[in-house]
Amino acid sequence: MKTPLLSTRNLQIGYTNGKPAHKVVASNLNLELTQNEFVCLVGPNGAGKSTLLRTLTGLLPALDGEVLLAGRKLAQYSRKELANEISVVLTSPIEVGAMTVNELVAMGRFPFTGLFDRMGEHDWKVVRRALEMVGLLGFEERMVHKLSDGERQKVMIARALAQEPRILVLDEPTAYLDLPGRVSVMNLLHELSTDHGQTVLTSTHDLDLAMRSADRLWLMSPGGMIISGAPEDLVLSGDFQRVFARDRITYDVMNGHFLVAGNNEGEICLQAEGEARVWTERALQRVGYSVIEDNANRTGMRVSVNRIESGFMWEVQAENQTRQFEDLESLVDYLRELPG
Amino acid sequence: MNIESNYKINRKRTGLFILLIVLLLIVVALNLTLGSVRIPLQDILKVLLGQSGVKDSWVFIIRDYRLPKIITAILAGMALSASGLQMQTMFRNPLADPFILGINSGASLGVAIAIMGAGLAGGLFIPAMNFAGDLGLVAAASLGAGVVMGLILLVGKRVNNPTTLLILGLMFGHATSALVSLLIYFSAPEKVKAYSIWSFGSFSGVTWDQLIVLVPVIVFAIALLAFLPKGLNALLLGEDYAKTMGLNVTRLRMLVLISASVLSGAITAFAGPIGFIGVAVPHIARNLFKTSNHKLLIPAVILIGAIVAVAADLIAQMPGSQFVLPINVVTSLFGAPFVVWIVLKRRKGSTSFNV
Repeated sequence: MKTPLLSTRNLQIGYTNGKPAHKVVASNLNLELTQNEFVCLVGPNGAGKSTLLRTLTGLLPALDGEVLLAGRKLAQYSRKELANEISVVLTSPIEVGAMTVNELVAMGRFPFTGLFDRMGEHDWKVVRRALEMVGLLGFEERMVHKLSDGERQKVMIARALAQEPRILVLDEPTAYLDLPGRVSVMNLLHELSTDHGQTVLTSTHDLDLAMRSADRLWLMSPGGMIISGAPEDLVLSGDFQRVFARDRITYDVMNGHFLVAGNNEGEICLQAEGEARVWTERALQRVGYSVIEDNANRTGMRVSVNRIESGFMWEVQAENQTRQFEDLESLVDYLRELPG
Repeated sequence: MNIESNYKINRKRTGLFILLIVLLLIVVALNLTLGSVRIPLQDILKVLLGQSGVKDSWVFIIRDYRLPKIITAILAGMALSASGLQMQTMFRNPLADPFILGINSGASLGVAIAIMGAGLAGGLFIPAMNFAGDLGLVAAASLGAGVVMGLILLVGKRVNNPTTLLILGLMFGHATSALVSLLIYFSAPEKVKAYSIWSFGSFSGVTWDQLIVLVPVIVFAIALLAFLPKGLNALLLGEDYAKTMGLNVTRLRMLVLISASVLSGAITAFAGPIGFIGVAVPHIARNLFKTSNHKLLIPAVILIGAIVAVAADLIAQMPGSQFVLPINVVTSLFGAPFVVWIVLKRRKGSTSFNV
């Protein structure tokens, strides 16, 4: 067991300057982050993810307990020392105006350049390497405000990497991105930890992406409790489902995604294989049927899918009649029309 | 390829700087030669080189009127633009400048108190002003500017909205103006007159004796700027980012506060309140150099500010006529539409500092 790079002891987080004087967001946090790990902090909105990250990066003071960074109390680090250990990427889009990618990433060298910010040869090498790591070589002279949101967030990640931190901390870096942007950024973070040994801690709302790429999840519940573990363990133990439990929304443990519970239309047998089975099942679930294994002895509704030359053909047996459909759209329409 | 394009950009920027210096020399030369009295070019050169054989009145006009006026204009342009740039970055607001945020009003209040209140020296605005009086005036104005700016910083910390900040500045401006009015109401007529002449704003009232005070003060405050680009650049990313990069935000704020209030305060003390240079010039610089990097912007803003102020003074002289307009009239006439343009441009969804 490695000694953790970052750990907390009975940490209490929250705000001091609001009203009431102390707003405690979470207490008694005992967390550990080890070298080279990729940890995703997940939890519903308002659980206090940002507050925790701000406390761990020294932007907010701990209300009680302590944060230990490389065995030393976080509170004992000066801003400058801390900048050598931790660098951040924040949620909100930045508004730096007219600045080239190179200039922005070079700002990551801030803790290392002198009073007049003179960049040496080594500094430019680090900048170049950071751009290479995020896959933006060739973007050096592009203007930051003319990049796509996803590219801009990668530039911010490159800036953070140019700070050569021991820990890279990101607060919902994918919040403003479109789906390909989200996948690409999360994949990048995963690569940084696996290929470059970078320790990464990020909060995110993209549960599916987090579950597929993180070494561990910090699962934060609205009460401020944090359960830590491998994503799969958290699902099997039921913790994951419990934290995200909502009215009418359930986590499908078999398939690993959230389902909106619709009207319950009853059970339906499905006879199909491969991708046809997966997507037919989705369509049936969407209109409220629970799909069960095909069982010849069962009476009731039954859908079977046959491969034909032009694609698939769906056959539905219901109410003593058999109907055939060429696509799922008409099948779904038919099922919706059925009485009861 | 990267290095080559970098090289091209740098060469273009060097070219721009050279162009600006030439432009500054041209407006200075024009300002020296044009005026209500026509003086031949070679006589002007003779005076500048200290040669004899020129009419005494012309020597006086050049040496004791036009030259100090131009130097004051250059200093004022540099100072107001530099403080405007710092404030725009610090408040993260493209419309921030000493005039709009009411910081000039703070300086005016300082001056008003110095002239009409305690009475620093009997008649501060008669030509035989003494060194201590001048320094006191600068100190009073800088202090007034600093207090208002400090207040806006304190209150502004609670608001994140750029518009709210401008309204706050407006309110501080009104409040300080009201205090000035109160002082006027209770002051002797001759002091009120001295104050109202000052408040018109002019580069021409500044004497060599006053320049001895003004030049070092402005040079000091501008020299302070050489230490700020790194921190100001970091602040462009926002305070949270800047902190995690190791920036001591509080110390940077203090430095900016000192530099910006001394710059705007000292100029206000001698030339009166001058609007719009501080807000407009940083935008011209950003557009011209296509950057928001302070390493380039600070020298650019200083140069462009000097050009704009000398040019504004040139227009104020209304060459060929006997009239001289108050400098603030000229800067406002050109500056107000410029600010309207900035506001309209911002509406189109561009971010606050984009060009």
